[in-house]
Amino acid sequence: MYEADRALVSRMRAGDQRAFDEFFKDSAPRLIAFIARRTALDPATLEDIVQSALIKAVRHLASYRGEAALFTWLTEICRNELADEHRRANRRPAHLSLDEPEAAHRWGGMLRAPDVHEPVSLLQAAAERAEIVKVLDGLPANYALVLEAKYGDGLSVETIARQLGLTEIAVQSMLARARKAFRRRWQRRPAP
Amino acid sequence: MTDERSPNSDSAPREDELLISALRTPALSQDALERVRAAVEREWLAATVAGAAPGSQRTAPASRRRWFALAAAVVAAVGVASWLARPPAPARLLGSVSRTDEGALSVQSAHLPRRNLMQGGELRVGDRVTAQGPALVVLARGGTLRISAKSELAVSSPSQISLERGLIYIDIPSATGPGNPLRIITSAGAIEHIGTEFEVLSDDQAVRVRVREGRIRFVGRTNTVVAGAGTELLAAPGKSIVQRSIDTFGRDWSWTAALAPDYEIEGSSLIRFLQWVSRELGRPLNFADANARQIADRTILHGSVRHQAPIDAMSNVLATTSLTYEIRGGAIWVRSGTSAAL
Repeated sequence: MYEADRALVSRMRAGDQRAFDEFFKDSAPRLIAFIARRTALDPATLEDIVQSALIKAVRHLASYRGEAALFTWLTEICRNELADEHRRANRRPAHLSLDEPEAAHRWGGMLRAPDVHEPVSLLQAAAERAEIVKVLDGLPANYALVLEAKYGDGLSVETIARQLGLTEIAVQSMLARARKAFRRRWQRRPAP
Repeated sequence: MTDERSPNSDSAPREDELLISALRTPALSQDALERVRAAVEREWLAATVAGAAPGSQRTAPASRRRWFALAAAVVAAVGVASWLARPPAPARLLGSVSRTDEGALSVQSAHLPRRNLMQGGELRVGDRVTAQGPALVVLARGGTLRISAKSELAVSSPSQISLERGLIYIDIPSATGPGNPLRIITSAGAIEHIGTEFEVLSDDQAVRVRVREGRIRFVGRTNTVVAGAGTELLAAPGKSIVQRSIDTFGRDWSWTAALAPDYEIEGSSLIRFLQWVSRELGRPLNFADANARQIADRTILHGSVRHQAPIDAMSNVLATTSLTYEIRGGAIWVRSGTSAAL
């Protein structure tokens, strides 16, 4: 089913530069978007996570067996990276006393409060985005994948079909089912 | 190919809008993407080379396939030879070595054996550098990188260096700064300059950043700190960042002055030369009187101060003028013969 992905990985393992170019061009921006939708990471941390995930992926290409889409495999690596980051963050002190003048001075520039000049509409949009991503994450993985590819990454049905090793008709059908599932869950979500 | 649409849903446009507004996210900058690509590509190249090493062929039956094997070996040898002989595409340039001692700087590239770099040698993306002695590198995008002995670093991209251990000093004049970002990756976070001079000491346990001029941004796992001139940051993975004030001059910086690039004085104004000395020493430049300033402005220098430390160069140059200098209160004071003693 994922013959194209398996072939791409085989070419990469053989040292084919064009395969790497294709892999990076297709995967990196989507992976960045995938994480950005689910987290509030600053750009530098986002960059670190994506870089770590992709490095792990290229080091372990042999473990990709084509049982899922290559992008799905990458998102799993990313989820692990995010979980590691979360664990690391939890090991750090949760708070710092600002009673100490030195500490207050030291941390004054780092504390991030909501920007009072930030339009309320932006804050509402961020909340709605989080809701939508939550609903998406509750859908079957392939539904979320095609919806993100279509609406988030702006990929055509043709491209999605090629990446998933499906026919365009099959992708259209999957998109229709995915939208229906999304609509049902969106309308039934608990009131905030 | 056009998009499909569910024909029996009035809410489909609303869903489309919802999904598009929620799922379209701003991408990382092109520069960030380039940094990620360089780092991933380097690992991919390393993994590919390493993965190709172990042999896994089965032994062919000797009698029946001897000639086929021989022919295959010849074809393979020709193929490998052709592949090896092809001109490799040069990786992107970080900079060129301007000063180092023989054998002090060695480089390992993805497909090449370790080699020593001498003056004029180039550092490119993918290179892993080991410095046994000090070295000065002139960056292709402007500014200099000074590497202390016992340092190890990797060039991830023309705008990114990973400092694995050791001590380096970055000097990127503000004139080349804003459009010319340089990022140093350490075990505890990344340092981004904002047109500045700064020093980074790092190992796998901690990192120390000392800012001499301008500002830097330290991007840790959870925090981002902007530090100005005269500030030292100490950071370790998972720990709080400690910040304190430091002097921008003195013995701690003498190793950077010893690696200062040569200043070509021929045709330069005296004041520009003095400003260069001021930056190299980390000491502000002051004029004790207006006359001294005017003389520095209008004096054009000739000759050479190559291979001289900045302080010696200043002494020698000023000795040929009517100006004198004194180091006082952390600053350089220049005065004319007509001004009162400081």
